Amino acid sequence: MQTMKSLYQCLGLAVLLSASACSDVIDRTPQGQYTLENFFQNEEQAVQSVNAVYNQLRQWSTHVFSFIGMTDIVSDDSDKGSLVSDGFFLEEVDRFTHTATNVAPGTVWEGYYTGVFRANLAITRIPEVPEMDEDLRQRLIGEASFLRAYYYFNLVRWFGGVPLILDPFPQELQIARAPVDEVYAQIESDLRTAIESLPASYSGTDIGRVTSGTARGMLAKAALTRMDYEQAATRALEVINSGEYALYPDYAGIFTDAGENSSESLFEVQAAAFEIGGAGSQYNEVQGVRGTPNLGWGFNRPSDDLVSSFERGDPRREATILYVGEILPDGSGIVEGDPGIEGERFNQKAWVPDHPGGNGNGPGNIRILRYADVLLIAAEALNEIGRPEEALTYLNMVRERARGGANVLPDVTTTDQAELRQAVWRERRSELALEQHRWFDLVRTNRSFEVMKPLRPNFTENKNELFPIPQTEIDLSEGALVQNPGYN
Amino acid sequence: MQKSLILFMLLVSLGLSAQVTVDGTVTDGTEPLIGVSVQVPGTTSGTITDIDGRYELTVPEGGDSLAFSYIGFTTQTVAIGGRSTIDIELGESSQVLQEVVVVGYGIQQKDDLTGSVGVVESEQLTDIPTQSLGQSLQGKVSGLQIIPSSGAPGADAIFRIRGVGTLNNADPLFVVDGMILNDISFLNPQDVESVSVLKDASATAIYGSRGANGVIIITTKQGTGEGQLTLNAYTGTQEVVRQIDVLNASEYATLINEADVNEGRAPRFPNPEQYGEGTNWQDEIFQQAPIYNATLSFQGGNEESSFNLSANYYRQEGIIRGSAYDRFTTRLNNTRQVKDWLTVAGNLNLGYNTSDRINTGSVLATAYRADPISVPRDSAGNFGNASAIGNTGNPVASIFYTNDRAETYRAVGNTYADIRFLDGFTFRTNFGLDFVYDRSRNFVPAFFVSASQQNQENDINVRNAYRRNWLWENTLSYARDFGVHHVDGVLGITYQDNFGEEIGAGRQRVIGDDPSFYYLNSADPTTATNFNGVDGGDWGLTSYLGRVNYTYDGRYLITVSGRADGSSRFGANYKYGFFPSVGVGWNVSREAFWNDGGPISRLKLRASWGQTGNDRIGEYQYVPRVVSNTGAVFGGEPALLVGSTVTSLANPNLRWEETTQADVGMELGLLNNQFLLEVDLYRKFTSGVLFQAPIPDYLGADPAVRNVAEVLNRGLDLGANWRAGGDPFRYNIGVNASFVHNEVIALDGDTENFFGGALGVGGQLGTNSRVGSAVGSFYGYEAIGVFQNEEQLGQFPQLGNQQVGDIIYRDVNGDGNVTAAEDRVVLGSAIPDMTLGVNGSFSYSGLELSFDVTGQFGSEVVNAKQMARFGAYNFEDRWLERFTGEGTSNTIPRVTIAGQNFETLSSLYVEDASYIRLRNVTLGYRFSTDLTDRLRMQSLRVYVNGTNLVTSQDYSGYNPEIYNDSLFNNGIDQGTIYPIARTITAGIDITF
Repeated sequence: MQTMKSLYQCLGLAVLLSASACSDVIDRTPQGQYTLENFFQNEEQAVQSVNAVYNQLRQWSTHVFSFIGMTDIVSDDSDKGSLVSDGFFLEEVDRFTHTATNVAPGTVWEGYYTGVFRANLAITRIPEVPEMDEDLRQRLIGEASFLRAYYYFNLVRWFGGVPLILDPFPQELQIARAPVDEVYAQIESDLRTAIESLPASYSGTDIGRVTSGTARGMLAKAALTRMDYEQAATRALEVINSGEYALYPDYAGIFTDAGENSSESLFEVQAAAFEIGGAGSQYNEVQGVRGTPNLGWGFNRPSDDLVSSFERGDPRREATILYVGEILPDGSGIVEGDPGIEGERFNQKAWVPDHPGGNGNGPGNIRILRYADVLLIAAEALNEIGRPEEALTYLNMVRERARGGANVLPDVTTTDQAELRQAVWRERRSELALEQHRWFDLVRTNRSFEVMKPLRPNFTENKNELFPIPQTEIDLSEGALVQNPGYN
Repeated sequence: MQKSLILFMLLVSLGLSAQVTVDGTVTDGTEPLIGVSVQVPGTTSGTITDIDGRYELTVPEGGDSLAFSYIGFTTQTVAIGGRSTIDIELGESSQVLQEVVVVGYGIQQKDDLTGSVGVVESEQLTDIPTQSLGQSLQGKVSGLQIIPSSGAPGADAIFRIRGVGTLNNADPLFVVDGMILNDISFLNPQDVESVSVLKDASATAIYGSRGANGVIIITTKQGTGEGQLTLNAYTGTQEVVRQIDVLNASEYATLINEADVNEGRAPRFPNPEQYGEGTNWQDEIFQQAPIYNATLSFQGGNEESSFNLSANYYRQEGIIRGSAYDRFTTRLNNTRQVKDWLTVAGNLNLGYNTSDRINTGSVLATAYRADPISVPRDSAGNFGNASAIGNTGNPVASIFYTNDRAETYRAVGNTYADIRFLDGFTFRTNFGLDFVYDRSRNFVPAFFVSASQQNQENDINVRNAYRRNWLWENTLSYARDFGVHHVDGVLGITYQDNFGEEIGAGRQRVIGDDPSFYYLNSADPTTATNFNGVDGGDWGLTSYLGRVNYTYDGRYLITVSGRADGSSRFGANYKYGFFPSVGVGWNVSREAFWNDGGPISRLKLRASWGQTGNDRIGEYQYVPRVVSNTGAVFGGEPALLVGSTVTSLANPNLRWEETTQADVGMELGLLNNQFLLEVDLYRKFTSGVLFQAPIPDYLGADPAVRNVAEVLNRGLDLGANWRAGGDPFRYNIGVNASFVHNEVIALDGDTENFFGGALGVGGQLGTNSRVGSAVGSFYGYEAIGVFQNEEQLGQFPQLGNQQVGDIIYRDVNGDGNVTAAEDRVVLGSAIPDMTLGVNGSFSYSGLELSFDVTGQFGSEVVNAKQMARFGAYNFEDRWLERFTGEGTSNTIPRVTIAGQNFETLSSLYVEDASYIRLRNVTLGYRFSTDLTDRLRMQSLRVYVNGTNLVTSQDYSGYNPEIYNDSLFNNGIDQGTIYPIARTITAGIDITF
């Protein structure tokens, strides 16, 4: 009986032990990660949250394949390029046969909204960070606001009105498209926030962050897109008169390593090729020479139309286009022909020299906004508001730099508004060729039909100016999103 | 001569030790009984009868009687009385079919069950040569669907019990000798004694939170009787079950030319005929592959102790070149009754396996797509550039340049102690551990095949990971009879804790391509990358469980059970769930009024109701987590600065998914149970279905797991078996069939549509789990023809800019437009209406023939691999029947490289997934005891087996059963799943 009693005690002990020893089995702390409950507690974390907004700029879905397809390839500046059947969905974009299930619109939609989400998170949480330098707090909110504006700017230009989401965690998941005006109002508001809170420049490890100048320049561009010429001129002149920027003396040099973050740079997506990777982009690879030398996939072929659009002797043609038989800019090789590629040529502005980590680890900064662009915005806007003399000054600054001392590209002298408008537009095409501005320029100036229809008979007016809302998004929004006209 | 010599020696030994040897045959009056336990009471001496019902036993000094016992028969004890041969006829016990069934936290008589439990015994498991227990269970239990989803070497099968309630991981819970596990890939089927498939809530509720998808309880072999040594070995060869018919080179060139013209280019092949047959890329990647298996096991035991030790080696080369799987496992089960009140036991399974891996998905997809004009290797031996025309890689080169080997070490074991006290109480404490250690090493040399298939610097990546999962269960059980009343019950507290972690690194510029250099130290340290983090789960469960069974006179049965579970996967307010059940049964045929001896020898009715749950979601889903791998580059001297953000949404209100199941069943035996029938009707309602449902991309982050839907499965499980014959001819035929109706009852937020299943080029969503349709129904346009001429272009509405030769989509609502919003319909579902298994065995003397047939009916598959065209891929041969002008085809549109005809999901790409397959045929011969006695064997059997020999299917792909990561993607064939093999093997089983 004694045995039995002690046995019961043992059993009781075992039950008690098991009950107490394991009570923490179901209480877990996420390992190796902060959660939103314990993040945004200090300055460093606030900075990191904004860095993550920049991170999205470098991604495939934001500024690489589909981006190039929906800016250059869709325009008259370039053809899809590469092998006939490679990347066929961009061939559809090139020919205006794309539908709402095409890869390209869905890709950028995802990429840009990911950026918007990260910006929203930073903008809503940084104000609540307990203790941090107030100037830094405002600067970070300004940076995130700029980036949100930039993401929305491309979205609204591609798709028209889009869901305007400012809260990272909206209550309702089905969100309708906001009117175009509303999207632009938010873009302008965010850019004003950025202008007010950002410094004019950075030094050291902060180089590459957006500045008040970046925001002014972008606001000028947005205003020009809205045909708000007064504001476009004002903002462009603020940039010009700030004294922060100057044209880089050598046009071709802008697109080299030495030309990164130059005096001409307002906004570049920063990339670098480290041995361990993680900091590059595929922007260079998708446009790189296909075959020999083995630099990339050969997309974004400069079109015949672009080649013939340059004025006689314009050195920018050579700086823009890499031909078969041409020696690479650094002299490291000669571009050899590939029989599988029709009319083979490449975007020289996306060329980068040999670098660590393979082609996919491209080091080239993606030039988003250059001072030359701002000068041409000023010229275009000033001409529209009856200040052609000033317009000519800025237009000819660009031409002067472009001619590089050669006896070509004479100054434009006309003060006729219509002629000058055409001159600026032509200048924009030559100056900014294959830098992913052309399509937006065609659409904003209402020239997409007249320019594209002869080249691409499938172009349908009042349809192809905008891209289709991805069908997946319409489906998942439970029909809250309505498709653009003509895309069913 | 030899026999008499042995006899002589036996006699000599008899004389020396005063032992006697007794032999004889045990029958039930007509047939010999196999496996009857023959014991000498009061000693450890015992044996079992062989295939012919014969036994031979040495009776030690002091033994004066023999006890014969057999399940379902009355135990008989007879005095030896100096006899050397004792033939016995056992009578069936009054309680027919006293089959013992392993259930959760206990065992029960099959007659006393109120729940629906399917049982498979070891003999039925080892007739298919496979290392996978899942594959050996296919077609054996009604309501259990086994999907041989992949033919990859070492791959396990997918298990589904009674349809699909959840949208995530719908795997059942596995319990091996009391150890709760996520997967059973380590188990050798030959180690398994029995498998219980718990189907209804009365049976599964004791597993509470994890019982919603059913429970599979596996009991491994314990030793019994005299020492035995068994050798099982087989070897064979495998080949792919079928190839997909694609175009040959000249056909391909013809169609590409046509596509060029249709799309406004000049045709690129001047003379298509010149290319002839070209390359059959499937021939290039598939191979005849050998398979080997050998198991050696030792077992023995008596009432006080038993052991079973086995060792197994298995090697399977893949039917795709470059893939292989090797496994070595050893298992030791040991039980010892230490005191009359204490039994201790331990089970330990140690395993080591290696996998040579290839990038299966990409190799298969490129072999399917690669243009047949290019060659695997040119005359100089260089890999052909398959991207020049078709823009695919060269799959042969891909295999060649892959050096990826994974190794897994796994120890699964548990120990328990049973303490018996008072009258009928047993306390058990059971501790189990599952420890997995994974290593992998992947070397890719520098190579160049084409711009899209190259590696500029060689690289090495290594990964080490471990996962441990411990379980501690303390249960108190009670069982006692009070006259006609029987009561048993169990109470318990259990804890389970799982954690895993990985660490890995990679470098480039390895100093040599030889495997002896596959170490990080042999590569350039400036290129080093590394990672380390939680992997393989970080979760815990605390549970309280209880069950009471009451039986009155073996006629009226009731079971009540419940389990409360706390799961770490939910937020503070939602951690605990309670899962009750009740089951009742009535053994009608035991009633006094039942006419004994009539044609109906057995009739049992039962009914049950209960709730179970599901918590199988990832960890920490209730709180938004911040990831810190989103760095940005800044600085004049560029540097990568840390960036941190949220990339997945979270859901603090996440709660259990709950399944409420009601079941009514009948068990019927006819003609003295020669014919047995078991029928179950059930209704299984799942609410709060957990799923990481896709959300619009404009929300900017990956979706949170949500409780998204209510799903109903109702169905019928039917199992029937007929056995007949005697000596020498006997046969057995079994049929089981399951009918399931799956339907979405409601969706979160009262929405109507629930999209998923990305497919095609643009990732369009190919499934819509609409209210009223099956979960994951295929959703798209109905193709009703091909525009034959300009006139028809005016006649039928168009989707986008359609031309003559394009698909005509049905304008469902007749509004004169075809729109995505209003004209898509449900085109089918991957969930079969019916699954079927038929098995039979015939034996004549020592010759045995057995077969299994499995099939499914009423399901569809989306041939999505045809739709994803990023280049001038090859076409399936149905495109030979394409539209080339008015009147040529009204089903297959004109050919283009890509475009809407391909990209848009329409009925053109939905195919019938019904099939019926002769899954297994085995012809074996068991040698007579005359021979085995001479060879000093207990038994000797040889056999040949064919697996997947014949399949009747309409589907053009390898296998119509397409299982992907979630139900939304099931049935969508992207052409990336390792095909199943047809296997021919020969084997031998020897017992000493």
